[in-house]
Amino acid sequence: MSDWSKVTRPIPVPNEWTKPFWDAAKQRVLALQRCQSCGHFQHPPYPTCVNCMAIDLKFEPVEGKGSIYAYTIMYHTGDKRFASAVPYASIIVEIDAAPGALLAGNLLDAPYTEAKVGRRVEVTFQPLNEDFTLPQFRLAQ
Amino acid sequence: MWDNRCKIAVSGVGFSRATRTAEIPLAAHALEAVKGAVEDSGLVMADIDGLATYPELPATGHSEVDGISIVSVNCMMAMLKLPNLTWHIQTGSVNIGGAVQQATNALLAGVCKYAVVWRAMHNPRGTYQNLPGTFAQGPLQFTAPYGFGGPGQHMAVAYTRWLEKNNQNREKMATLAVTQRKHGLKNPHSYFKVPLTREEYLSSRMVAYPFCLYDCDIPVQGAVAIVLTTADRARDLKPRPAYLAGYGQRLHFEVAGRIGSLSSYMDGGRSSAQLTWERSGFTPKDVDVAQIYDGFSASVLYGLESYGFCKEGEGLDFIQDGRMELDGELPLNTFGGSLSTGRIHGLWHIIEGVLQASGRAGERQVKDVNVSFVGASAPIVQGTTFIFVKEPY
Repeated sequence: MSDWSKVTRPIPVPNEWTKPFWDAAKQRVLALQRCQSCGHFQHPPYPTCVNCMAIDLKFEPVEGKGSIYAYTIMYHTGDKRFASAVPYASIIVEIDAAPGALLAGNLLDAPYTEAKVGRRVEVTFQPLNEDFTLPQFRLAQ
Repeated sequence: MWDNRCKIAVSGVGFSRATRTAEIPLAAHALEAVKGAVEDSGLVMADIDGLATYPELPATGHSEVDGISIVSVNCMMAMLKLPNLTWHIQTGSVNIGGAVQQATNALLAGVCKYAVVWRAMHNPRGTYQNLPGTFAQGPLQFTAPYGFGGPGQHMAVAYTRWLEKNNQNREKMATLAVTQRKHGLKNPHSYFKVPLTREEYLSSRMVAYPFCLYDCDIPVQGAVAIVLTTADRARDLKPRPAYLAGYGQRLHFEVAGRIGSLSSYMDGGRSSAQLTWERSGFTPKDVDVAQIYDGFSASVLYGLESYGFCKEGEGLDFIQDGRMELDGELPLNTFGGSLSTGRIHGLWHIIEGVLQASGRAGERQVKDVNVSFVGASAPIVQGTTFIFVKEPY
């Protein structure tokens, strides 16, 4: 199991089109950007719908269930603040309700060797400080 | 086919010393490489009237200081004081291959006669991918808090997907690392001077699984350069020219920060290669020798597959059984690749494509080369592709 207790994570800086994502996460809700014209979900958020070019985009809550799309096990960290946690799994998750939207996270509460493409995971929330909570993932119950 | 095929050629090439850390300013490396390319062409500096580069430092968390960590066109102009300069450009949407393509276009437009393109790469002190500090802005806000760093990790996640989706084994990549090192030992400019064994590859430390140490190019400080000119002028210069039969660039991009997606690599590579095949009139079967960008080993697989040398999912099997040897079916990364020269980016791959096409690759020359293919950067990481030929057609 990776030891995250000594890791100081970089703090996200929201901008005008990512702020609703972080506001929702603070309320322990996973909300993804959705085009109100064609219904396309996208993550990371973008100024326009990359499917139909509409600009009417809103964040909508989605069920936090999905599968590991891809992953890496980190042994050498560029960011030394993560050095105490190696080896750890950084994963990319495709959310069932939002095909094509790929979320980064860590695999929490499980040995990093459990990370495999296709493995079922669910969202969990990890407070970062008073202002930010990170959506994270654990193996599906 | 492209009306302008074989109307532009690469003449001279030049190299600076490559060192692990900065012993002299990066501008001095770039100057050494540019002087070398001009001299190799049999020209004098006053003949040069076009300048192009892609100056970006691909490290994270380090400042870009002109002449120290990057070498811009402005820096080169200040150093060379070219009396006959008529044209210059820096590219951004595609990597150094874009600078070569822009120089080609400028020569075709007749706005310059002899263009120099250089790539200078700095190795900053401390950690290469140092990440953003306390705060993660822009696309990094969705990746850096989870310990994702630079391009290597981005490519590592795509590689696990490729491996597990195709039921493949990372140990097969030893063939690429070992064979490229063997090629590199025949390249006097290789950074590594000793062989690499399969056992060393398999027992080396993991960096970002599935990438071990020998899947990653070593950061160095160095520069390379080429001289491009029109075909009729190139024939009067010192070296045998390599004629540019066609080129292409990536026409696909997924939102920055969306990582792990294999389709971004495959669609990027396919779009660039398709332009190159159509413009040149060649197909993958016509290629005699190939250079495919290998900053991280897996990008060679994405290149082989998306450019059409093998089917999707077959890249690791394709490189086995001697196929990438100098006398193999598709001699690959014959200068040793970035895995041997160090991190100089794709202009080295272009240089090797040129040297193989013009019969100037020395001890590592592949026999009877006419069609020389280059994937000058990873399919999605600013991908460009080129074909150079020995005989204009």
